Amino acid sequence: MEVVKINGACKTFRVDRNEVKALNGIDLSINAGEFLAIVGPSGSGKSTLLNLIGCIERPTSGTILFEGSDVTRLSEDELAEIRSAKLGFIFQTFNLLPVLTVRENVEYPLHLRKTAKDERDKKTLAILKEVGLEAHASHKPSELSGGQRQRVAIARALVGAPSIVLADEPTANLDLKTGEDILKLMKELNRKHRTTFVFSTHDPKIMKLADRILELRDGEIAGKQCT
Amino acid sequence: MYLRLAFRNIFRNRLRSLITLAAIAFGCISLTIAGGFIEDTFDQMRESYIRSFLGHMQISKVGYFEKGAARPFDYMIDEPEKALGAIRSNPSVASATPRIEFSGLLSTGDTTISLIAQGVNPKWENEISTFVEIDAGENLSEGDAYSIVLGKGLAEALAAKPGDPLILVANTRSGAINALDVEAKGVFHTSSKAFDDRSIRIPIDTAQKLLQTKDIQTIAVLLDDTGKTDLVKGELETAFAHNGLDLEIKPWYEMADFYTKTVDLYRRQFFVLKLIIGIVVVLSVFNTMNMSILERVGEIGTLMALGTKRMGVISLFLLEGLILGVIGGIIGLVGGYLLASLISWVGIPMPPPPGATIYWTAKIKIVPSVLAFNFGLAVIASVVSSCYPALKASRLEIADALRHNI
Ligand SMILES: Nc1ncnc2c1ncn2[C@@H]1O[C@H](COP(=O)(O)OP(=O)(O)OP(=O)(O)O)[C@@H](O)[C@H]1O
Ligand SMILES: [Mg+2]
Repeated sequence: MEVVKINGACKTFRVDRNEVKALNGIDLSINAGEFLAIVGPSGSGKSTLLNLIGCIERPTSGTILFEGSDVTRLSEDELAEIRSAKLGFIFQTFNLLPVLTVRENVEYPLHLRKTAKDERDKKTLAILKEVGLEAHASHKPSELSGGQRQRVAIARALVGAPSIVLADEPTANLDLKTGEDILKLMKELNRKHRTTFVFSTHDPKIMKLADRILELRDGEIAGKQCT
Repeated sequence: MYLRLAFRNIFRNRLRSLITLAAIAFGCISLTIAGGFIEDTFDQMRESYIRSFLGHMQISKVGYFEKGAARPFDYMIDEPEKALGAIRSNPSVASATPRIEFSGLLSTGDTTISLIAQGVNPKWENEISTFVEIDAGENLSEGDAYSIVLGKGLAEALAAKPGDPLILVANTRSGAINALDVEAKGVFHTSSKAFDDRSIRIPIDTAQKLLQTKDIQTIAVLLDDTGKTDLVKGELETAFAHNGLDLEIKPWYEMADFYTKTVDLYRRQFFVLKLIIGIVVVLSVFNTMNMSILERVGEIGTLMALGTKRMGVISLFLLEGLILGVIGGIIGLVGGYLLASLISWVGIPMPPPPGATIYWTAKIKIVPSVLAFNFGLAVIASVVSSCYPALKASRLEIADALRHNI
């Protein structure tokens, strides 16, 4: 089953009077349960593609079908609903809310969905256990290491059982060993929950863990290969 | 959840929030103190007017207030005892005293000065004119005859001292000229310099002899509470109608023209002060919210990426403004109350108001409705000034905002 299907997506940015073509005619299907890596040199459009899949930006042309329905024409609020209900995000810079504790950070997406307290507590504790941070539940993000912070972010992305988790260079701010651990954790969660993961990376070692690698070059898909 | 986020965000940059809270509280406190000071000044001024010579109301023959100035003797109360009886039977009346006012001349032999004389009943008058203060000699007392007390300015102009013999000249009721030998018994001052410059007081029996009449002109009435003025006025009007007394009542606020104009002027000036303080609060909260939004662009991006709607972002920042306003307002209320009490306890020594002679002590009056208004102003100003920053935050492009995370 396809979670996301992209047809001829283009994205152009206007900077002053110049147009920058960040993506140029992308066709892509992402299947449920996939563990997909997007690679390519800097400026090739990885982040832009992830933003399109993540309903954060709209394509200039082309369509994006999310679980079969076109999201390109939805309103801002409707996109926000989809992000909160169906998507999980992991960022290069972790992006935890500094004023909230680990547990509150992980809980936040459930608040957005107005989940009842009992269920919220249950899900939050369960996912914190899976990422191995139940002991740090009441810590503030500033008290954690980079790797621990990214685990919290993973827990936050997964707590609502999304259809797809998007991770833009999740290991770029971590050392090699920690980065690999993070990727392994993601892979493990991918297997266990059958959650679709799409992540971008520069790192050849990390790419190897993917089921499929999609290479971008100047906003176009350069070639597909499987490992 | 937003509440928790808003609270923690406020206490994130403690110094900045503290400064903002201080600005809000300061605004609130200044309004409480300035407003309370003005209210107290009004109160004291009002009481001073009432107790210097006006009384809470003056009662006279119908037509006196309108036409009596030209022909005062045409509008005299011819049944003074009956009128006084009717007035005194009202339980809220603390005191009532008859008066006759007339103009005349006062002479030492060398100098002659025109004046306004108040014929008063010394015993009852002293209950009403509690703000009349004696500078030299003694005040009129019960049983005095052919004695007068002079206003300070008048006494100075005549160079008259207590004990000096004087000649008082006036027209009788029928228009003839009459003169009396009187003795200066004392010198007084009130809060009104203009009054002190041209007034004397004389026992009403002596005045009646001079004017050759048995009637009186007005009755000054003092109540136990200024707030009851209108109530008692109504009651007395009914009582007069019942007793067939042809009398009219003028309350103090219709006579104290200077007071009402001053109050009006000060209230306008105070409005400007409120406006200025409101602007200070608005600018201060605006600055804080704006800075905190600039610092938190990346976070706002994260919140929206996770699925927070634009309305959610707006509510978050408005909530922060609201919390700042409420906390600042509470500090302001409590601080204002305590400071006002402290200042009232110490007292502010004040110079005489314009046209007056008495030094007095100002306090800070605490009016609950004013406190509530100040608190409301603090809260509303904070929320209003958060509107634009909140809107700005909610308008951020998610992808751009996310790039601010480093
Ligand atoms: N908001 C924007 N405004 C203008 N140009 C943009 C914007 N976002 C991206 N671009 C341009 O689009 C192109 C693709 O950018 P993108 O961030 O997707 O690359 P990337 O593959 O993620 O690069 P990196 O590996 O450095 O993160 C670049 O040329 C970039 O300059
Ligand atoms: Mg990128």
